[in-house]
Amino acid sequence: MADSTTSTGSPGSRLLGLTTLVGLAGLLLFAFVFTEPDVRLHPTTGEEFGQFDAVRLLYLHVPMAVLTYVAFLTCAVASAGYLLKRGAWWDVTAHASAEVGTVCCGLVLVTGSIWGRPVWNTWWEWGDVRLMTTLVLFLLFTGYLALRRTPAEPQRQARRAAIVALVAVVDIPLVNRSVEWWENRTLHQQSTLAELKIEDLTLFTLMLGFVVFGLVFAWLMLHRFRVGWLEHAQAGHEVALAIAERHAEMETLDVDAAIGQTGGGK
Amino acid sequence: MAEPVDEESGEAGPLDLTPQASRPQRRARKPFSIVVLLAVVAAVVFVLLRTLGDASLFFYEVDEAVSARAELGTERFRVVGTPQPGLVETSLDGQAAVVFTLCVADVLADVAHLGDPAELFQPGVPVVLQGSWVSGDPPGIENLSAAAEDGWYLRTDHMVVKHDNDYRGDDAELESCGVGS
Repeated sequence: MADSTTSTGSPGSRLLGLTTLVGLAGLLLFAFVFTEPDVRLHPTTGEEFGQFDAVRLLYLHVPMAVLTYVAFLTCAVASAGYLLKRGAWWDVTAHASAEVGTVCCGLVLVTGSIWGRPVWNTWWEWGDVRLMTTLVLFLLFTGYLALRRTPAEPQRQARRAAIVALVAVVDIPLVNRSVEWWENRTLHQQSTLAELKIEDLTLFTLMLGFVVFGLVFAWLMLHRFRVGWLEHAQAGHEVALAIAERHAEMETLDVDAAIGQTGGGK
Repeated sequence: MAEPVDEESGEAGPLDLTPQASRPQRRARKPFSIVVLLAVVAAVVFVLLRTLGDASLFFYEVDEAVSARAELGTERFRVVGTPQPGLVETSLDGQAAVVFTLCVADVLADVAHLGDPAELFQPGVPVVLQGSWVSGDPPGIENLSAAAEDGWYLRTDHMVVKHDNDYRGDDAELESCGVGS
C-alpha cells in the first residue's frame, strides 16, 4: 500500500507541526516567565489584590473559546454544503471540525472552571447564562459526535448529523452575546479586547496565544480530516471488495453449473 | 470460497440466487430519529428557558434591591454591588460573619455575610451575594465609617466575585460608589 494511504502526515503537515511545537514553547515562555502575574496594590487598603497567577489561564482559555466558535461555524458551513452538494468532502470536513471543536469547547469549560475557583470563588455557577449556554453547546456537539457513531447507512447518517449541526450552531450567538444581553445573569466579564482593557506584554502574549493555538487547530483539523477521508475511502473500498466477491461467487457458480452440465452429458 | 451449507441437511449446496423481494423499509426508524432529535432540542430549550427565567438567578443591583425591599420580603435573591472600604469580623447566631456595606452609585446597603469572604474580596471589586433582607442592624455596624444604617441589612451566605474585564495592572480602574461618588 502506498505511503499516502497509511499515514496522515505529509511534508507540509510535518512543517506545520514543527512550527506549532516551537510556537507552543515560545508561548509557554511568555505565559509563565516573561509576563507578570496580575497583582495590584489597592489604593485604599494598600493590600495586594488581583488574579495573581490565575491570569495566565487567559492565554489558553480565550484562544480556545474563539477556536470553538471557528470550529463549530466551520462544521455548520460544511454541513450546509453537504446538504446542498452531497459530497463526502463536506461531510468529512463537518465531522473533523465538530470533533476538534468539542475538544476546544471542553477545554474552555475546564480552564474557565479552574480560573473561576480563585477569582470568582466558585468552580461552577448553575444558572449563569454564559456558563450554561457554553455547557449546552458542548452537550449539543457531544450529541452530534454520538450520532455519528450510531450504526446507520452513511448517507443517512451524514444527513442527520448535518441537520443537528445546523440546529446546534444557533447556540453560538447566545454564548457570545450572553454577557451583553444578560449582564445581570452572569459572573462572566464582558469582552476585554473589544474595550481594549489589556496592554503591553499581556496583550502580546494573548495575541501569540491566538496564533499558536490557531496553528494547533490547523494541525488537528488537517490530520482529523485526513483520518476521516481515509475512513471514507476504506468504507468505499470495502463495499467495492464485497461487490467483487459477490461477482466472483456468481462466476464460480456459473462455471460449476457449466461443468456439471458438461459432466452430466458424458 | 466454501459453498453455503444447507441448515437442515448440513450438506453443502448451491447458493440460492433466486431474486428476492427487497426487505420493506423500516419506517419506524425515521419517526424515532426525529423524536430523539426533537427531545434533544426540547431539553436544550428547557435548560435555556430555566436558566433565563429563574428569578433567583437574576442579580439585583443594590439600588434595585433597596427599592424592591417590601416586595422581596424574606425571599432569597442575588444582589450585586461594590463593597465600601471597611470590614468588621464578628459572629451572628453563633456563626462567624463579616459585616460590610455594599453600594451602587450613592445607594448603600449593609451586609452581614455568614462565613469567610471570597479570597479576592476587596473594596471596589463587585461581589454577588445570595441571601435575604432582615430588619435591624447587624453586629459591629457602628465600627463602619460609611454604613447605610437604615434599619435593614442583607443576611447572606453565598459570595462570588464579579471580576471586571480590565487587565491593565495598576492602571486598572476600580468601581467607585458610595455617598459623594
